[in-house]
Amino acid sequence: MHPVKLFCWHFMAYPYLPEDFDEKYDTGWVTVPNSLWNREKAKGLYQEYIDQLVYADELGFDGMVLNEHHQNIYGLMPSPNMIAAALSQRTKNGKIVVLGNILPMHLNPLRIAEEYAMLDCMSGGRLIAGFAVGGGPEAFNYDVPSPRARRQFWEAIDLIVKTWTDDGPFVHEGPEYPLRYVNAWPRPEQTPHPPVWVPGARSRETMENAAQRGYAYFLSSRSHGDQTRQAAEAYAATMAKYDRSYTPFDFGILLSVYVSETDEQAKIESRESIWYFLRNCLKGHLRTKGRTLTWGPGVPSTSPESWRGFLENWQFGADQLGDTRDWEDLDRRASIIVGSPETVREKLIALVELAQTGNLLIQFHFGNMSDELARKSMRLFAERVAPALRAESKDVFARDFPEMERMEPAQ
Amino acid sequence: MTGALLHAAGSDVWVESLGDGKQVVYLHGIADLHGIETEPMAFHRALAETCSVIAPAHPGCARTEEDETLESMDDVVFHYLRVFDALELDTFTLAGSSLGGWIAAEIAVRHPERIDRLALIGPTCLHVPGHPIGDVFWFAQPDDGVRFDGLRNLLFAGPRSEAGLEMIPDAKDKIEREMGKYRVFRFASLIGFKPPYLYNPRLRERLDRYGGPALILWGENDSMVPRQHADAYFDGLRQARLEVIYGCGHSLIVEAPTGIADIVGEFING
Repeated sequence: MHPVKLFCWHFMAYPYLPEDFDEKYDTGWVTVPNSLWNREKAKGLYQEYIDQLVYADELGFDGMVLNEHHQNIYGLMPSPNMIAAALSQRTKNGKIVVLGNILPMHLNPLRIAEEYAMLDCMSGGRLIAGFAVGGGPEAFNYDVPSPRARRQFWEAIDLIVKTWTDDGPFVHEGPEYPLRYVNAWPRPEQTPHPPVWVPGARSRETMENAAQRGYAYFLSSRSHGDQTRQAAEAYAATMAKYDRSYTPFDFGILLSVYVSETDEQAKIESRESIWYFLRNCLKGHLRTKGRTLTWGPGVPSTSPESWRGFLENWQFGADQLGDTRDWEDLDRRASIIVGSPETVREKLIALVELAQTGNLLIQFHFGNMSDELARKSMRLFAERVAPALRAESKDVFARDFPEMERMEPAQ
Repeated sequence: MTGALLHAAGSDVWVESLGDGKQVVYLHGIADLHGIETEPMAFHRALAETCSVIAPAHPGCARTEEDETLESMDDVVFHYLRVFDALELDTFTLAGSSLGGWIAAEIAVRHPERIDRLALIGPTCLHVPGHPIGDVFWFAQPDDGVRFDGLRNLLFAGPRSEAGLEMIPDAKDKIEREMGKYRVFRFASLIGFKPPYLYNPRLRERLDRYGGPALILWGENDSMVPRQHADAYFDGLRQARLEVIYGCGHSLIVEAPTGIADIVGEFING
């Protein structure tokens, strides 16, 4: 039986915002002026972040997770593939998870097929290929009409996977990306192709499309609770429709962790950077104060039926993660888990059980967190949380998924 | 309910029909019937006192089927040509407000022989360098999760105008109105998000293709489509009359419903 897989996710936030950022700026996304970029202070920033991911590999994490964002302070990876290329040369064991390239933002999916194939070869077959459809900010950044993004997205994924699996040259007829000669060199090292992960925010369309193709579904929500369990169950049910058996490794969740010696110490050390992350990085994304561009009629990517479901449950002006007031409020959202190794282990095993998930994608670096504290938290996690979590998760999976014993090892 | 489903070339189109007299096809905008509003408004009812108003809902709006393959203005023009054929309209008057005005202009320059008169009420659609059309997609998301000052400011004469607050209140509106807003923005996004926003870079040079009488109505305080666009229409169309409505913003049919209906009705029957 496989234990839960533990990944280290780095967002690469911009850490040098002025102290009055929240008062002065209505968003950290799209229009946040890049005159705030401090060239002097930012020297060596990417190096520091890449080194932290290399450290994660040394500590024995199952992989490193990267993603794509543009024109914002939340994540400085317009091209996650460049960071992945660097990691392919500096890490040895962990998977390199790019979650993902935002397909509708790119002119031609063939380029993504080529770059991912390169990364898979360069890393010795360690790539997990994630594909994302993009949200509101992305629509504004690259001027992508939202209602069209989904149809571009699934056509692009199918073309990319076919590029990896079918012998070329072949013709792709479109409609979005018609190509006469598809014949990518290189081909990926993994056969039939690198595992595909698709993030989703519980929409039925994404679950259907991912389950039908046998891809892993990654819940992009940052807060956890009953809805996380419901999403896992919905994905399991959707897989069953296509005669596939759900295992915890078909589903992943994002959460954030800070570990220190004691609960109190953990709070003292992480308070500043966590609230920098909540107030600044989430402003414009998952914060009600200011201008959130993540969803709305102006970026109408979901079907009208899905929007109706969302509207019926959504309270306009309700607090979101970025509006979190205090530790108690933070605790309630089960999004950022802060505490001693014991506290974190206890909460994470409960989350594994609740979410029925075998992939924990964990953010360790927040906003303006120092290199020293980020590494300390990662080390304490690897040494004092991960071993117990792996052992206990095996028991949970053996109890809840007994049929997994007979199945092929998860990728 | 005076509307009905019309079957036109493989899809269902929702058409509202009001009044008697000379036929006018009216293409809607955002703060409009088939947009945020579900029922005919004061403007449509007033216009129907002097004309036969035929108001189809754009693809995906009201009960008109969404066309998942739709991606360009050409697709919209062909959609409407089929609608006009199904309605057995040969030569008729075409009117449109906001993005409906854009579609009306695109149809008129392609098929001037079918349009005897053209009435454009605050149309989007031209590219006037240095004077971009307002970012209605950006401001469709509220400030602090609840306030629509930005959207009202674009669509009406100021962020707190009475007409604007009534049409787009702060916080969540009735679900059907929210859905109407979502659907009309979805349609607008398909045709008008790229290039940003709501214009066809080639239309201006084609305006002279339409030689019939044209009426251009513009709100004095339209902050969505700058006044320079009105002048560009006036210069580009061969027989245009421009009227600027004082004290109004972009949504003339909401801000001055009976006054606009009178001017448009007179023009149609002129």
